[in-house]
Amino acid sequence: MFVILFHMLIDRSIPSFSANGLNSITGTVWDPEKGLFGALPAIAGTMISALIATLIAIPISLGMAIYFTEYSPQRIRSVLSLFIDMLAAIPSVIYGIWGLWVISPLLKTYIQQPIVGSIGFIPIFAGPAYGLSIFLASMILAIMVVPIISSLSIELLSSTPSSLREGLISLGATKWETVRHVGIPFARLGIFAAIILGLGRALGETMAVTMVIGNSYIWPFHSPSMFAPATTITSKIASELYEATSMLHISSLMELALILLVVTILINSVSRVIINRISKRGYF
Amino acid sequence: MAIISRRGKERLIKYICFLATAVAVIPLLWIIGEVVVNGVSAINLEFLTSLPAPFGESGGGIGNAILGTMIINAMACLFGIPVGILTGMYLSEYDRISRLGAVVRTVVESLSGVPSIIFGIFAYSLIVLTIRHYTAIAAAFALGLMMIPLIAKATEESMRVVSNDIGEAATALGIPKWIRTTKIVLSIAKGGVLTGCLLAFARISGETAPLLFTSLFSFFWPTGIDQPMASLQVLIYNYAMSGFENWILKAWGASLLLVIIVVSINVLVRHLTKPKYKAGV
Amino acid sequence: MTMTNNTKLDIRNLNAWFYEKPALKNVNVKIPDKMVTAVIGPSGCGKSTFVRCINRMHELVPGAKVSGKVLLDGVDVYGGMDVMDVRRKIGMVFQKPNPFPNMSVADNVVAGLKLVGTHSKKELAELAEERLKSVGLWDEVKDELKKSGASLSGGQQQRLCIARALAMNPEVILMDEPTSALDPASTAKLEELVKKLKNEISVIIITHNVSQAARVSDYTAFFYLGELVEFDETRNIFEHPKNPLTERYITGRFG
Repeated sequence: MFVILFHMLIDRSIPSFSANGLNSITGTVWDPEKGLFGALPAIAGTMISALIATLIAIPISLGMAIYFTEYSPQRIRSVLSLFIDMLAAIPSVIYGIWGLWVISPLLKTYIQQPIVGSIGFIPIFAGPAYGLSIFLASMILAIMVVPIISSLSIELLSSTPSSLREGLISLGATKWETVRHVGIPFARLGIFAAIILGLGRALGETMAVTMVIGNSYIWPFHSPSMFAPATTITSKIASELYEATSMLHISSLMELALILLVVTILINSVSRVIINRISKRGYF
Repeated sequence: MAIISRRGKERLIKYICFLATAVAVIPLLWIIGEVVVNGVSAINLEFLTSLPAPFGESGGGIGNAILGTMIINAMACLFGIPVGILTGMYLSEYDRISRLGAVVRTVVESLSGVPSIIFGIFAYSLIVLTIRHYTAIAAAFALGLMMIPLIAKATEESMRVVSNDIGEAATALGIPKWIRTTKIVLSIAKGGVLTGCLLAFARISGETAPLLFTSLFSFFWPTGIDQPMASLQVLIYNYAMSGFENWILKAWGASLLLVIIVVSINVLVRHLTKPKYKAGV
Repeated sequence: MTMTNNTKLDIRNLNAWFYEKPALKNVNVKIPDKMVTAVIGPSGCGKSTFVRCINRMHELVPGAKVSGKVLLDGVDVYGGMDVMDVRRKIGMVFQKPNPFPNMSVADNVVAGLKLVGTHSKKELAELAEERLKSVGLWDEVKDELKKSGASLSGGQQQRLCIARALAMNPEVILMDEPTSALDPASTAKLEELVKKLKNEISVIIITHNVSQAARVSDYTAFFYLGELVEFDETRNIFEHPKNPLTERYITGRFG
């Protein structure tokens, strides 16, 4: 069973090593017909969208976690808990279809166009305001990451030793102060792990991103605007593998997959090492 | 006085946190709302039982996709559940002895962090490229692989808990280890294992990426498991991206079906693990 | 029965519940100022609940309900004051010492003050030293001020917690079986401290050890099954208790 994993890694490297050298990572042109497979925009797309999504998700998730553990009335908690689970359970294609047909038009009219109209001279906000863009993808990804971080954070915050909470409260602390000085320091490690988990999800997410990102190499080198359509590793593979024409094309896509796998495993192991290192130091 | 500003800060934070919660919950309700509203109008008997209509025509259904999803999921379970349970059993009962156990555990952990599309690619390069055509078996394989870490973890955890208490009693009575593992521990840990399987099933029902280049899609009834097959997820993807009114409508209908399946499984699992939830909050 | 001293806490018709189960039934008592009042009774009689109703910690428990009045110098703790103020004025020390492990010894002492935020670093350091001296801990920890609060011994930790509570300059301090987790030597030290404290503030101490009550307190309250059975000067309770239940408990026939 575990042999399968090793097999997996080896299997992938073989096809992809027929890719065209280092250029495939740093190159910026992807043209199957010409045989050029520069992947930089896709890699950039993956990294940036995942990063932004996670950054946006962190305050929302933590805010929700704190609300859940400290402020919400008992009756609301079970409902809220159900909601969080459902957010996590909704299949990514459905996020995709919703993003594509519901959010994208709204975003375009009410947010993108006004912004482009007013501060469009700043390159990041430049027009034209396409509906499908890296901006939209980051937003949708953020929503998908939130349940991961918040459900773990809720568990962590709920398990702060009550004797310490009581100690601080008996000194006259407010609920927020208790969370801040006792809850969060204790949960710090776990929250960090949760964030990494969320980041991992964002990096690997395929369907929702593919459906809303526009699948184009316009971003970032032809237009750095966040309202421009872009590509991620996953969306490229998803949209092109079926129609891949040449063996070279296929193995370039494989190489992309390899990059994704390596990055994912790297991030996960590094965070595990960090967590182990820190938790050995004592309390947190 | 200092306390007033502390009080004010407290209230401010309370509102901010509530706001954060709202920001997270609103999309959920919105999505479900849209799916229901848009999808309901598409669902009727024809929708559920017939094949897609030719391009551009209205009507037609997604019967093949429904059947296809059922077949693929069933195959995935056939593969994923036994392997998952066995792995979980191995980890909880036997791994304290060997170094191999630690390796296995790391592998299982890493597997659960791998993006779904990679599983698809793996199945693709392993099976599709080898036999040179798209097949549903590859899809089932990929999905089955995805189920393994989830089920293994759930199995291991529930068996470990039981194993410690009751397992000791069994050993003390002189019962051989393999009987203890299968008959006793497993039957008590059944509940946890079951919920793990259900959740894994719900998870793969929603996964689309691995299917995109394994089982692909088809406009006809499933002909054989070694052929491409339609599925709900891929249908939603294709139809939604197509731009045809009729197809987009169908996609919403399929989404509704999918949401119903996934949500019901989750609610069911909650119901089964209710006592655990009460304690957690 | 009020004595010739002032009353610090006037408790009237106090009732408390856990969900629907009553934990305290109609408690009426006047706790005197600058005295040590012991609260005794068998397990589950409501001692802890009683004390936690005074500084409004009981209401933090899910399903908790309280009714009645607790007047601190005439002002109702349950209506006339901000709850944070209540806890500042009425400090608490717990059964199991709970210093904050993520803070140093010095920071632990002034943890409550830091929340209020009006003191400078220098002031905080001085206050910490002063408080540690007043609980007799200064000499033992003055070279270890930076170490984690959890690195001290059990008895030291408990005294640290007392210092921490005292740093808020409370008017009353509640102690929930403060010595039950300590060894006899630390217990003796703590009892000495308690007797010293009454010069500054009122002390209410819960104890399951009847002789401890006799040693340290001026007044004693005996609880049984959620009701206050008898409240009197300690001397009276132990020498001629009025209620037969009291007598049976004190002489060890139950509880």
